[in-house]
Parts: sequence; C-alpha cells; structure tokens
Amino acid sequence: MNRDPGLLDRLGGPVVVFAVVGLLVGAALVPYAWGASTGPDGTVAVVEMHGTITGDTAAAAMADLREARQNDSIEAVVLDVNSPGGLASASEQLYLAVKQTSEQLPVVVAVTGTAASGSYYMSAPADKIFVTPASTVGSIGVRAVVPPQGAPDNQITTGPDKTTTATQSEARRRVETLRRAFVGSVVAERDLNISASELSYAKVYSGTRGIQVGLADEIGGLGAAVDEAAERASLSDYETVRMESPTPSPLSRIGLNATGATTEATFEYTGVDTTQYLMLHGQLNTPDTAAQIEVRTNGTN
Amino acid sequence: MARTDLLKGVGVFAVVVVVIVAATVATGTLLSDSSTDASVDAPAYDDQLLPTAVDDGGSVGTPEGDATKTVVIDKSHGNALSESEMQPLVDALVRDGHNVRFYTGGSGGTGGFSGGISSGSSGLNATLRSADAFVVANPASTYTAGEINGIDAFAEAGGRVLMLADPVNPSSGGQSISIPNPLGGTTGSTVTPGQPTNLAANFGVSFGAGYLFDMTDNANNFQRIYAQPSGDSSLTEGVDRLVFDDATPLATSSDSTAVVESQDAQLSSTRRGSTYTVAAKTGNVVTVGDTNFLEPASATVADNDVFLTNLADFLVSGDKEPGAPEAAGPSTGTGSGSGGFGGPPQPGTTPTVPGNDTSFPTGNGTSP
Repeated sequence: MNRDPGLLDRLGGPVVVFAVVGLLVGAALVPYAWGASTGPDGTVAVVEMHGTITGDTAAAAMADLREARQNDSIEAVVLDVNSPGGLASASEQLYLAVKQTSEQLPVVVAVTGTAASGSYYMSAPADKIFVTPASTVGSIGVRAVVPPQGAPDNQITTGPDKTTTATQSEARRRVETLRRAFVGSVVAERDLNISASELSYAKVYSGTRGIQVGLADEIGGLGAAVDEAAERASLSDYETVRMESPTPSPLSRIGLNATGATTEATFEYTGVDTTQYLMLHGQLNTPDTAAQIEVRTNGTN
Repeated sequence: MARTDLLKGVGVFAVVVVVIVAATVATGTLLSDSSTDASVDAPAYDDQLLPTAVDDGGSVGTPEGDATKTVVIDKSHGNALSESEMQPLVDALVRDGHNVRFYTGGSGGTGGFSGGISSGSSGLNATLRSADAFVVANPASTYTAGEINGIDAFAEAGGRVLMLADPVNPSSGGQSISIPNPLGGTTGSTVTPGQPTNLAANFGVSFGAGYLFDMTDNANNFQRIYAQPSGDSSLTEGVDRLVFDDATPLATSSDSTAVVESQDAQLSSTRRGSTYTVAAKTGNVVTVGDTNFLEPASATVADNDVFLTNLADFLVSGDKEPGAPEAAGPSTGTGSGSGGFGGPPQPGTTPTVPGNDTSFPTGNGTSP
C-alpha cells in the first residue's frame, strides 16, 4: 500500500496542481473578460466626403458605406460632408448608397463646411443633419454646359451628335429630368418648409437658415453627430473609426481629376467629354459662348 | 489492447471534428444575414421624370406683300446677333422677294472721338432713305442723336422699325464694349450685346434690367417662359402661345400697346411676379425683349413661327414715303443733334441697293 510519494504528491497533491493550471488558464482569459466587460458595445464609423464628387471619390465613399453595412461591429454611420458636389451621376449613386445604409443603420450627417448640390443629395436620406451657423446647405440644382453646335472640325464622326452629345433642347430636357429627380428626392427625404419650386431656385442656405427651411435639423459639430448616431444605435459605450477617403490614383485623371482642390482645377474641360451634367455649387470656368459673339469687321459672323 | 485504445481514440477524434464542423456550419447558416445588401427604392425616381418636349412642328411662313420692299438690318453698332441667328426671318423675307441688306456702317466709326458725335449717322440715314424697314438687334454701342433723329423721321414717314434686345448681363454690361475696327481687316473683336436704350426711349419704350423666368410653368427650363398675345393685334394673329428664352420685360409709355405678355413670370432683378410685356408696338415701331426666338432652333417652337411670320409681314407691309429721312431734317434742332452730320458720307461702304428706290445722295454732309 505504501507507495513512494510521487511527483504529484511532492508538488502538493492534485488540488494544488489543478489550482495552478486553473490560474494559468484564467490569467490567459483575463484580457478577454476585461474586454468583454469594459470594451465598446459597437463602432460608429465616420465616412468622409470631402472635395468634389467624382467617380473616384464617390466609389471610395460607397466602399466605406458598404463596409459599414457588412461589418457587424459597425452599428452607426456618421457622414462628414464638406463638398460642393460634383458629377450628377456619381451624386445619384451616393444618394442611393446612403439611402440603403440608412435603412440598415442609423446615419447622421455632420456638415463640416459645405453640403451643396450633389453632396446635399447624398446627405438628404440621413436620419439627421447637423450644421453649424457658417456651414452651408442647399444648391438643389443641376447644370450642364451648352452642347456645341455645328459640324466638327478635323474629325470624321458617324453622326451629327457624336461630338456634341445632343441638341440644345435635348440637353435642356435632360437637365430638367435630373432636376426633377433631384428636387423630388430631396422633397421625399426631408420634411421641408419650402415648396418644391422654391427649392428649385437652388439657393445656398446658411446652416441656421437651412434648419429653418428644413434642409438641416440641428446645430452641432462632428462630435454631436457621433453622439447622436451612437444614441440612435443604442450604444452607451462605443468607439469611433474614421474611414478616410483614399487618394485617387493618377490614372483616374482620364475623365475627371479628383485631386484638385478647386472646382476650376477639377472641371477644367479637356475635351474628352464635352457635356458634363453636374450637381456642383460654385463658378465654372467655361467658355461663355452665349454672352460674347465674335463679330468680324464686315459685320458677318 | 493498445491497438483497440488507439482505434477508439481515433474514432473519438473523428466524431469530435465532425461535430464541430457541423455545428459551425449550422450556426453560421442560422446567424448569417442572407440579405445584407437589399436594393433601395428612390421614391422620386418613380415619378414622371421625363419632361414633354414643347411642340416644334411649325414652320415660318412667307409674309404677304405685293410690292418688293427693302429691309435693312443694322450691323454697324456691334450688333451681337449674327446673320445665322436671324436666318428664319431673313429667309421669310427673301422668299417673298424682298431685299434684305445688312448695314455695316463704316463711315467714320473711328472718328467718333474727334467729332464729338459720331459722324456715322449720315451713312445710316442715307441707307434708311432707300429702305422700307429697319431692324435693330442687340447693339453694343449707343445710337447718336443724329441717328435717332433719322430713325425717328424714318418711322414718321411710314418706315417700319423692329427693335430687339436681350437682357444685359450685369457682370459684363457697361464695359468691354468694342466696335468692329473698320481698318482691321478680317480680325474679329468681341462685343457685348447691349440694348438700344436711347433709341427705344425715343419711341417710349424701355428695356428692362434682368431676365424673366418662371419656375413652374415653363418650356423645360425656368428661363424659357411662355408668353401669350395681349389684346388683338395683327402681330399675334394665330398665336396662342410663344416661347421666349432669356427675355427681358419692356416698360412702355401710354402711346405704346402691349402685343405679347407673360403672365406668371418673375423678373430676375426684383423677383417680383407680375404680368410682363415682352413685345410692344408704338405706331410703326415694334419692340421685342428677346432675340432667341429668331434663331433657327427656337423659331419653330410653339407658335413662334406664326409670330415670326407676322413680324416679317409687319416689316414689309409699311407704306413709307420715299426720301425720308431727309438729309438735314427739321427734327434735328434739338441741340444735341446739331452736330450729327459732320462727317463725310461714305455711302460706297454700304451695301448696294438693288435699285427700286431713291438713289444715294452723295452730298448730304450739310453741316449746320
């Protein structure tokens, strides 16, 4: 019966050994337990939309929004908007992406500068829009350069509208179509205090006036927007992740250059596409063919 | 013995692996959201988005006139309306056998500074003497007192005058006006379209500042407004609805009658909605606050073609006394116009008259 005390006994018996093993395992689990008790309930993603809206910047923002929808840890989205708008087609894509996101998650917009034209289009379906008195919203309208007329020089084309894209009346109708879609969408998304035709004036409103007309909801900065988004997602404890727009590659300059800070730099026409439909606020540097007419000395032109 | 234990252990291991994998698949299937990216509806995109095009089926007709008339279109004041832009009107006149001439001046346009008042009036007046109608559109420079007196006498004598002007762009108005250089060969110069303000004022009409727009009822753009006939006038016979693009309102004196008006438009400079006169008639003078309806793309929209035909008819249906305006008419005694005929006339620079009218007077430089 008497056995030599084995290794187990020499270490203090099985109880001690199990206690030590338990201690080690427990210690290994401490970080997880700590994290579970003190860690965030979820993440509020801040998606940037800065600068003019081009195909590139819109694609980046839409990728961020898709990530927010599919990542389970992201519970709410804040759009940090400071953009004068841009391409009409890209603005519509952004509108649909934000609308889709807002159907799954709380989406709150913080206008950190300008949410005009196309960038307001994407802000409209948000649950709440924060502005500051000096930030601007509005410019609900569409613009296009008048298509050139006449036969193309030094080119052989297969049709009269190959270079001009459309006749003037067709371009006018197309702009009107886009205006109806834009104004109609804003009216549908927002509870406005102004009529659709008044909205069609495409004014730019200050943040304070924007609240009055119903284009914005509350005075507040980015922090207030994040708090609001977390509250709407029922997050008492959350972390914020900023999803910055990537710098577009130089190869993307074929159509539009997204790196330019000013609209003139971005939308300087290089003749690749003669008629761009823009939801863009600001002055465009376009040849003013309507106001100035060349007159030769013999009076014919 | 050891072999059975080993087999037992492997069996347990396989069962455990299968259970774990199966449980994972089952849990994943249960928990995963099958529709993470559902499509969205844009409510406004379902509405009637495409606008209906304005009827563009008309064609500019031919005026009905018996005699062959001469219509002079002024190009001597930097008129910012090209011949191609008024092609429908010219075509209508030519089809009916009338003479259309473009008066390009050239009689001392650069000598205006030395003479105080431009000496070009004699050339214009000489041309008007052989004309039956005179068209002024978007002049960049003002008309001299002598020219105004001549045009006034021309209209008094039964000559028909048509004045057209677009709104002046406030950012470019009042500056960068340059007159075509008669010495410069074929090089072009840029002119800013203006309004014949002092000429129109002579006939009791004033062109407005700013453009008319209509946000709700328009021809697919807020600047393309609808206008209707105002009262009964031969100018609007057969006209139901006109489309003007970038039109300016007219203020008229009691002598004038409104011919075309836009009822619900607003004026850009005041943002007031009202009934604005777009075309008015003062005796033999018709004033229209728009030129775009003359252009080929707009001339056949809505009833613009009918209006244009009526305008052409108006131009050639006058009964002008021959010889007016007289060389040094009695109406030049208004002080400021006294020096108006100082320059040497150069009628050779004006287009040749296909001669059914009075011949060119070559010695009308009678300075008072």
